[in-house]
Amino acid sequence: MSGIVTPGIQVALDGLAERQRVLARNIANIQTPGYTAQRVNFESALSDALTSNPDSSATDLSGVVTSAPTTDPAREDGNNVSLDSETLMSLDTNLRYSLALRAVEGNFTPIRDVLRSS
Amino acid sequence: MSGISPLTSIARAAAVAPPSGVTPSSTLLTGSAGASSDSFSSALSGAVDNLQQVQNKADGLAMQAVTGTLANPHDYMIAATEASLNTQMTVAVRNKALEAFNEIMRMPL
Amino acid sequence: MGAFDILAISGSGVNLNRTWLDSISDNIANINTVRPTSEAAYQARYVEAQAVSPDAAQPGGVAVTGISLGSAEGRLTYQPDNPMADAQGMVRMPDVDLSEQMSQLIMAQRGYQANLSVVQRATDAYNAALQIGKG
Repeated sequence: MSGIVTPGIQVALDGLAERQRVLARNIANIQTPGYTAQRVNFESALSDALTSNPDSSATDLSGVVTSAPTTDPAREDGNNVSLDSETLMSLDTNLRYSLALRAVEGNFTPIRDVLRSS
Repeated sequence: MSGISPLTSIARAAAVAPPSGVTPSSTLLTGSAGASSDSFSSALSGAVDNLQQVQNKADGLAMQAVTGTLANPHDYMIAATEASLNTQMTVAVRNKALEAFNEIMRMPL
Repeated sequence: MGAFDILAISGSGVNLNRTWLDSISDNIANINTVRPTSEAAYQARYVEAQAVSPDAAQPGGVAVTGISLGSAEGRLTYQPDNPMADAQGMVRMPDVDLSEQMSQLIMAQRGYQANLSVVQRATDAYNAALQIGKG
């Protein structure tokens, strides 16, 4: 039973999971000299792709999830990771992930409701 | 509808379609009540349209939620719950209607 | 307009207070830094903050607009035994008042904790919203 989950939601979940990984990597490197914090972006690219083609498939949406270095000012050792920013972004990502999981459930519920009561 | 899998559209259609093997006569449902707004058939078709609307609203908000443009997360939660309950209600009404129909068909004339 | 904007708004508050704490600790660490009269004294760090109005692009909060420096003159003190003293025995001490810095430290700490408490409560509220319709 493939193809029940909307590709847009699938890509969003992938993006959020990648964001969590990158945040963990940033926090692990908080003392590394010269390290620049990375940030995962996908929301605006996903939004643009879905606006131009609401029926985008998973292959259409590949490449939406990108990672870029941040431009925050660095400390003396060249490291620009701010623990507060990373922690708060981690909280935000957790909440977005839960919201996206509810959206996935919304894909499954119509089928489950009908199967259960027939 | 954007991004909805064929399986989901089938499930939604099945929510209101009768199971195979039963072919209720359309005259029984529309009957002598005709096009009166109180007739059962118009109530049922109204429920189907409403279900589609509610489902579409929930799907639209889901897309907004995952692209980060949704202002209030509870909007999507409420819409998703409404859609689910509407589906269940419509299926329950369909089942009851068929039970009633079968009951009537079994009555000796 | 994102779904979980409260986190961004309070996040800006947390960052501001953290920057403030950093500046205050810098000032306190250098409270006895002596410089010769030929150079500028250690200048106290002051954080400049500005409120950010919410608009379509960002949810608002506060932003650090810059770090301004205190007086370069400092306080001229008579320390003839100091190797950096000039011909008259004067050196420059920083114009930093310890008691003022300590009270600012307490304010910055309270601000930091207050913003974190907003983040905590908002996360709890959002988690409750995510449970709507379950079960």
